[in-house]
Amino acid sequence: MPWLTIAVVLPLLGAALTVALPSSLRAAPQVIALSAAALSLLALLVTVARFDPGAGMQLVEEARWIPSLDVAWRLGVDGMALALCLMSAILFLAAIAYGVGPRPLGRTAAALLLSLEGATLAFFLAEDFFLFYVAFDLTLVAMYFLIALWGGERKRYAALKFFLYTLIGSLPVLLGIIALSLSADGAPTFDMIRLADERPIAGSGLGASLVFLAFFVGFAIKTPIVPFHTWLPAAHVEAPTAGSVLLAGVLLKLGTYGLVRVNLQMLPDAFATFALPVALLGLLSVLYGALVALAQTDLKRLIAYTSVNHMGYVVIAVAAAASAGISPEARALAIDGAVLQMLAHGLVTGALFFCVGFIQTRTHTRELGALGGLMQPMPVYGSLIALAFFASLGLPGLAQFPAELQIFLGAFEAWPAVAAVAVIGIVLTAAIFLRALQRAFLGETPERWTGLPDLDRRELVALLPLLVLVVALGVYPRLALDLISSGSWLP
Amino acid sequence: MKMTVADMKAMEERMIGDLPWLSPIGALVLAAVIAIVLALVLPRRRQGLVGAWVAGAHLAAAALAAAVWMDRGFARVLEGTVMVDGLALTLTGIVGIGGALCVGLARPMLAGTDREGEFYAVLAASSLGAVVLGSAADAALLAIALGLLSLTSFIMTGYLRHSERGNEASLKYYIYGTVAGAVMVYGLTFWFGIAGTTDLAAVGRAVAGAPDAVVIASTALVVVGLAYKASLVPFHFWTPDVYDGAPLPVAAYLSVLPKLAGLIALARVLPTALPDGAVGWPTAIAILAAVTMTLGNLAALAQSNVVRLLAYSSIAQAGYLLMGVAALSGSPQGIPALVYYAIAYAVTNIAAFAVVIAVQRERDSVDLRAFAGLGRRHPWWTATLILSLLSLVGIPPLSGFVGKLEVFSAAIDAGQAWLAAIAVVNTVISLFYYLRVIAPAVLDAPDDAPPATTAGRPLNAVLGLATAATVVVGVAAEPLLWLAERSVPLAIS
Repeated sequence: MPWLTIAVVLPLLGAALTVALPSSLRAAPQVIALSAAALSLLALLVTVARFDPGAGMQLVEEARWIPSLDVAWRLGVDGMALALCLMSAILFLAAIAYGVGPRPLGRTAAALLLSLEGATLAFFLAEDFFLFYVAFDLTLVAMYFLIALWGGERKRYAALKFFLYTLIGSLPVLLGIIALSLSADGAPTFDMIRLADERPIAGSGLGASLVFLAFFVGFAIKTPIVPFHTWLPAAHVEAPTAGSVLLAGVLLKLGTYGLVRVNLQMLPDAFATFALPVALLGLLSVLYGALVALAQTDLKRLIAYTSVNHMGYVVIAVAAAASAGISPEARALAIDGAVLQMLAHGLVTGALFFCVGFIQTRTHTRELGALGGLMQPMPVYGSLIALAFFASLGLPGLAQFPAELQIFLGAFEAWPAVAAVAVIGIVLTAAIFLRALQRAFLGETPERWTGLPDLDRRELVALLPLLVLVVALGVYPRLALDLISSGSWLP
Repeated sequence: MKMTVADMKAMEERMIGDLPWLSPIGALVLAAVIAIVLALVLPRRRQGLVGAWVAGAHLAAAALAAAVWMDRGFARVLEGTVMVDGLALTLTGIVGIGGALCVGLARPMLAGTDREGEFYAVLAASSLGAVVLGSAADAALLAIALGLLSLTSFIMTGYLRHSERGNEASLKYYIYGTVAGAVMVYGLTFWFGIAGTTDLAAVGRAVAGAPDAVVIASTALVVVGLAYKASLVPFHFWTPDVYDGAPLPVAAYLSVLPKLAGLIALARVLPTALPDGAVGWPTAIAILAAVTMTLGNLAALAQSNVVRLLAYSSIAQAGYLLMGVAALSGSPQGIPALVYYAIAYAVTNIAAFAVVIAVQRERDSVDLRAFAGLGRRHPWWTATLILSLLSLVGIPPLSGFVGKLEVFSAAIDAGQAWLAAIAVVNTVISLFYYLRVIAPAVLDAPDDAPPATTAGRPLNAVLGLATAATVVVGVAAEPLLWLAERSVPLAIS
């Protein structure tokens, strides 16, 4: 059975089905969306059972599509792709369970969420550049409409900015893809497995550097790496809760996944030349993201900026792995850490954006100054968000700790100074979250918040699985590391 | 050269032998001639039949083009003046199918007007001019085809006699058209002087011996005529006024068929008359492409009238199409990229115009405000609007994306990566104004407007067909890419 294709196609079929059904069936979109997302996750779990962590790229499924361009429906998995797909499928399930817009989930919302899921999974599983790019841009369109239709007050501005910025990023990627495909031996090809094996653009001359930079700019905007991050606050803040969860939890990983899959695997020579500048941009993201987050009083903006910080570690790790002369052990350590950090950040930030959404629907504010003492009326909520805060600041025993530890160990071999300075970021995030915890959840409860209801079942269903995984990955990171095993697929 | 009777007889026999090759063009000739007769004999309420006839004849021309391709292959016919090759036959297919769709767009507007039948006849004659323009391998034929295409376009633009703006648009188009046509003929006389014949291939053999200054000047003059048809900057000034003033179905027609014919004629004439990129024309065309797309997109940003917006968008699209022409001497991908993009653009732009026509019929306005709340009132029209405009941006997997992929590849392969980079910047700019139409349609609440109406059957059919094609041409690109790869001009020397 083509399980990967099934995992990608099920959400897309679900999307088509929700649109095709008459609007009189009010509960149908919700049921279809949940089942499609659950079945898609099931197909991925079957893939885990069939997966051999030591075998690198595997389980490739291929079907004819556009033979005259050597474009095909090519899907395949390695540890990174599979781990990210699982994380995404879980986040999508949670986001669909929580919903967007009016309850139960409307037709348009269900169709958009499912298309976004199909496109995301296709992106991670794609081993064909045509499909890779199609999926990359489709995520854009679906997210544009999610923000534009159900976002906050400045939703139009935020949606437009998101679409424009990410299109600015994706088009250089397209040029890079064309350049790579034209430079393949023999006829042009979009086959990513072949291009990763043959690496037709070797060396670090002007041509290779331009292709490298084209991809880098695209993925840097998506990640986002400072100074390409300016679209992020508006989009994250204005998006509806489930939209922010998916944007930060899943879509940011498209950028770092691309950095590893394309820049590191297909253009290693050029990356080696640019490794230090890229690492420094990563370091800048770590520090800048943390400092700006420290200055925020809006809880959602605060969390949005910590994403810049956390993704910065991933960038440092990937750059360290690309640097010349790094030992294979440190390299595997760095990339394992980077992928684990992508998983951990997806789960933790997803949980955090859910938490912000829960409080916003109750209090209609996200200002730290206006909140306060929320632990009293909402003990369950308070404890869970505290857990998410601790996970996000890298407390041992929670998912981001092993990830960041591995990243520092890997990066230390390449550039001790960079790794040392990056640790400051951890201190800063600790300050950010402890301060937020104090101001919003501890202390006196203002009169107007005393009657707030605690989390209801729907909210718990969305939030708890994520936090369970955060603890599981923190206590037993091998759960993911054995799957990722980057040593088997890195060049 | 004096011809004997025997010579003439032989020539006549050759020409009769050529007739089967010319059957697609013949179908369009018959379409126009019989339409005039039908328009005279049928009563006014039956004039729709003339439209059915002309649409059918267009489709027959496309089918005959396919038949000629498969049964006979390619040839140079009519004493070497007409090329029947992949490029010409594919253009015939585009004109045939596009023309039939435009008849569908026009029918609801024309129904019950006093010269409905004649309009279809003129449209058929215009399509004939477009096909001949793209098939001509002879300077004189090129000039005649341009003249026919222009004349019929003026008439269609001014069809609504009582519309002041329509008359103004027609006059403006007429003045621009005759001047541009005259300039082109002037340029062609230089080529005639260089080669001693109107045969473009002979010009190609003779240019090497001619002074560069003369070749450059004459080529520039010839390009003016075709650039005007394709509305390339700086010969585009008529475009927004004419699209806005003309009946909208005519604007849809003008934005697709004459434009593509002009571009395909450029792709045939330039490499034939100036082989191997003589006098650096590929670079000049590449610069023209960059200027055209940039100015078209920047001007579109400021529009609040959707027809004018689409007019500037079509100028910008001509710039992307021109990338294929600029690349054709440096890369074998140039012509296929142009042809594929042309097909994708034709269906996409017709779909976009179909929605605008439908909205204009319901709201009597093409202002951006008329599109507010379209999503609630007409979800299917809105789907067409979103899909067609995103295809014009080049969002995958729609046909416009594969078109962009093709022209970008061709440019990079031809060593014009800078042009691809400029096209990328332009694509981002274009997203901005296309979203200005999409956003109010999807996000705004409908205002108190007249109750939703239906668009009329032919218009709805075109809307559905063109939208389906916009998606299918992109998702299942293989057959058309296969076609485009073979739609190259026949080598002549």
